[in-house]
Amino acid sequence: MTQIILFFSLVFLISANCFADNSATSTRQAVILAPGYGPLGFTAPEVGSYQLPVLSQAGDGQVIDTNGDEHSLSQLMHNQVVVLSFIYSTCSDVNGCPLATSVLHQVKTRMNKEPQLVGRVRLLTLSFNPEFDTPDVMKHYAKGLQEGKLDWRFLTTRSEQQLLPILKKYQQSRQKEYDEEGQFSGTYSHILRVFLIDRKGLIRNIYSVSFLHPDTLINDIKTLLLEHSNQRITKVSNDTESQNFKPLYRAGDPKTGYEQLEYKTQSIALSDRIGKTADLLQYVKQPPLGLGQVPIPLDNPLTPEKIQLGRKLFFDRRLSLNNTFSCAMCHVPEQGFTSNEMATSVGVEGRTVKRNAPTIYNIAYAKLLFHDGRENTLEQQVWGPLLAHKEMANPSVGYVIDKINSNDDYTGLFEKAFKRGPSMETIGMAIASYERTLNSGNSAFDRWFYDQDDQTISTEAKKGFNLFQGKAGCANCHQVGKDSALFMDNQLHNTGVGYQQAMFKESGKQQVQIAPGVFVEVDFAVINEVAEQKPNDLGRYDVTQAPEDRWSYKTPSLRNIALTAPYMHNGSISSLKQVVEFYNLGGVANKNLDPLIKPLNLTTVEIEELVAFLHTLTGDNIDQLVADAFAAPVGDTN
Amino acid sequence: MNKCIKNISKVTSGGLKAGVAALLTIALTGAMAIPAQADETCMSPYMAKIVGQEDYVYVWTLGMEGLGDEQDKLVTVDVNPASPSYGKIISTLSVGGRNEAHHSGFTDDRKYLWAGGLDTNKIFIFDVHTNPAKPTLHKTITSFVAQSGGVAGPHTTYALPGRMMITGLSNNKDHGGRTALVEYTNEGEYIATHWTPTDSQLNGAVKTGKYADGYGYDIRVLPRRNVMLTSSFTGWSNYMMDFGKMLKDAEAMKHFGNTVVLWNLHTRQPKKIFDVPGAPLEIRCAWDPNHNYCFTTTALTSKIWLIYENDKGEWLAKEVADIGDPSKIPLPVDISIQSDDNMLWVNTFMDGLTRGFDISDPFNPKQVYTKKIGTQVNMVSSSWDGKRLYYTSSLLANWDKKGDDNEQYFKSYHWDGKQLTEKFSIDFIKEKLGRAHQMRFGAKALYSSNQSTPAALSQLAIGQ
Repeated sequence: MTQIILFFSLVFLISANCFADNSATSTRQAVILAPGYGPLGFTAPEVGSYQLPVLSQAGDGQVIDTNGDEHSLSQLMHNQVVVLSFIYSTCSDVNGCPLATSVLHQVKTRMNKEPQLVGRVRLLTLSFNPEFDTPDVMKHYAKGLQEGKLDWRFLTTRSEQQLLPILKKYQQSRQKEYDEEGQFSGTYSHILRVFLIDRKGLIRNIYSVSFLHPDTLINDIKTLLLEHSNQRITKVSNDTESQNFKPLYRAGDPKTGYEQLEYKTQSIALSDRIGKTADLLQYVKQPPLGLGQVPIPLDNPLTPEKIQLGRKLFFDRRLSLNNTFSCAMCHVPEQGFTSNEMATSVGVEGRTVKRNAPTIYNIAYAKLLFHDGRENTLEQQVWGPLLAHKEMANPSVGYVIDKINSNDDYTGLFEKAFKRGPSMETIGMAIASYERTLNSGNSAFDRWFYDQDDQTISTEAKKGFNLFQGKAGCANCHQVGKDSALFMDNQLHNTGVGYQQAMFKESGKQQVQIAPGVFVEVDFAVINEVAEQKPNDLGRYDVTQAPEDRWSYKTPSLRNIALTAPYMHNGSISSLKQVVEFYNLGGVANKNLDPLIKPLNLTTVEIEELVAFLHTLTGDNIDQLVADAFAAPVGDTN
Repeated sequence: MNKCIKNISKVTSGGLKAGVAALLTIALTGAMAIPAQADETCMSPYMAKIVGQEDYVYVWTLGMEGLGDEQDKLVTVDVNPASPSYGKIISTLSVGGRNEAHHSGFTDDRKYLWAGGLDTNKIFIFDVHTNPAKPTLHKTITSFVAQSGGVAGPHTTYALPGRMMITGLSNNKDHGGRTALVEYTNEGEYIATHWTPTDSQLNGAVKTGKYADGYGYDIRVLPRRNVMLTSSFTGWSNYMMDFGKMLKDAEAMKHFGNTVVLWNLHTRQPKKIFDVPGAPLEIRCAWDPNHNYCFTTTALTSKIWLIYENDKGEWLAKEVADIGDPSKIPLPVDISIQSDDNMLWVNTFMDGLTRGFDISDPFNPKQVYTKKIGTQVNMVSSSWDGKRLYYTSSLLANWDKKGDDNEQYFKSYHWDGKQLTEKFSIDFIKEKLGRAHQMRFGAKALYSSNQSTPAALSQLAIGQ
């Protein structure tokens, strides 16, 4: 061994016969020595500063030692940190078995000097050539390697039969090599693997040629010993630089200022999405200030069981053709129960949905559902996305029911909530029950307007509200009542947004953002090479087939509007200011433009005042509703 | 066949023959003079390498609605000119569903090929050793998302000793780009999840610039430097979205990765986050043991970036070249580094070009060769000796070109050092197969110790 180490301390050596017959080269080849023979090219990570995850249970099997005494591997591993190496004694590949033995020898030599490790660490070298490697041969192989007290056993097996199950358990590939006459050459092809096993018999690391080095191996061994000694693992994670975001109930990164070169990320770890269950029923029994009584259908009274079941269904990605889509993938809780990250939705397999996902905050009060108002109860609406080919793509009602029935985690839940199993009716009722609780009011505006608390909103916002009710005419559709306000009229209107999208002729170039603060102008012709044909959208006309309904869409509520960008039924407007500017210009002229939409002649200051007002409409229980959503299990396939 | 050619104990770390030969040349002549490319080296280095004539190319292929059986499949092409079925498809194995088949990688013993589905999050493990001419489906992991704690979009499947490191692209909460690395044993058992650092949890990493987005894409490692690098693309919402729709969606375009993260390979702890704006994708590291650097290219901003260690032992990131005219979004996709570290192949999807960059000065890459491969081109794989390059067409199901421009092919070229010459081509639409994506090589010699074959397996490349 010493000879090998000395000899190979050069960077490489010429191998006398390798590749002699290789048609790919006639040059004699050099062998670069494995890192395990030289100094480590980096500082080994400090003991205890990291974790070694459990890979699997170390396999057991019967082996014999150099005295011919039989042991089970599990006995030899009992209560020891073990390094297990597979070799065969005649292996001549310097970066194969000799490397493993050399590294183990270095480990032993160094650990011998640390008496506290003796009795806690054991090295095992097991031959995978029992035919040749008898106990005597292994004894000979071990000669000169046994100095010092650290235990190093040299093992073999009685037979191939005894060996093969062990090799299989450790996925130790080994192929006999044959010469030109088909005779076993005495050598094996094999992959070099050394295993680190903890005192519970669990594999904690595997090393191969490029990774096997005494420095890292010793620190790994000591890290395991430290773990076993119940000493506190040093926490290396230095989070002093981590920003403290509070609260964490917002989008993963709002991308604020992404248009500017100065943009900085404000990303939140997914593990900071910490859930806390809320009493959702209270938002129905005592609707927040500014909201009226919650309409509840007589045939679907709310119960905690239905709400909880509905919430589970809402977040269950298995309720789609390919197990990738729940309701919440488009109605993302921390993104205003819509999606802030795209204009119009995408469904299963990335299929294009032609409209923006609407928020479901305060959806209990909506008499018209979907942007075109085609549905009239939440219980029925639920089935639209579930069955839409471009959304969740379930092939049938029965498919959804069967899927729920086939998942154990639903056992008994429908029966508890409805006294009957999942059906088209009960599934709709459960999800509708959850959605009906997402009521959010008691905003700064509500406290000012309905509670006469003068301090809750700014003068600017108050002026904005006056414009909203007066000069700007917003409240004609986004209505405000004496005791409550939904900021909608349960009606449909043509603002020209839909008309523009359907009739706009693309020409010239599209501005495309390619990095923070970096934009390029791209020819539409280039974009269209990779663009599917854009789906057309005629709005309410799709439902009524009446020409006057072309491009009419439902008035959305403005509650929580600051949370639900991008805006309009097609997500075509990024900010509230741009929305106000759009209306200030009188929308887009077209034959069916709603007469209420007309130029407003608002000043720049007035536009800002309106925007300030819109920002006062965020409910005070958003954190509770989002935290509750975070607490919901996300259904994924097991 | 010489025992050294096939002794797997000598080939577990890859890189070798060319690297070894190069070193030898330096020793003898003091010059680097070995013109070898290494797309075998685009894979994990800890496995046997095919350094001679490969027998098979496995093409992980996306099913296409309305074409053939419409589902994803592993297509095996015979690429050995000495074979009677040279240039022909000799096996196809459909796996069910369209999973957004994307990348694949062998385990370190090269017995199994792990192929991920970016949409359904399934990982298909193919047995490629029992009969390398006809892979079979050994196991399907369907619990990737649940086991990993919500990671979605399994992308690169990268071999480490006895285990696979899988990069995620997305998550099951918002289908955005925050994601993690996920480790599995070779047997397909979940080990651990390592989240990419975000501002709220840097986990010890230092932000060298303004960004910590938590996104992921590719992974490469340099064990001799204890370095692991990951790049960043985008979440499910974007990579599954129609490409044209996305380019017109201002919000969607804000959700691309702008970072490369340097990790401590041994401990899996993130150390540094580099600003590399515009979606850095593939990472390829140099082979020379003294070359402590890796390249990546940014898909949107069309740049070559160098991630390198300076003489003070600090790792840095530097933009070193434009790829085509960035204002036209040529969209650099797959890249490949020659094993002599002198040439980087870069494919640009939109114009269908493969571009050779002279990177002998890694700080000043220069484009020296271009060839149009098709209306669109994505992947490139080179044989170890650099004489054969294989190309495929598909980028992502919903990003591929539409109509007549949606050519789907596997093409074999010969490279003589100056020119690429087409040898054969297979039309994947005409053959009713689908969208051809990633390629991996197979050889009979890998799995048989007494078989005469032109394939030669490499020795050890400790350099990596």
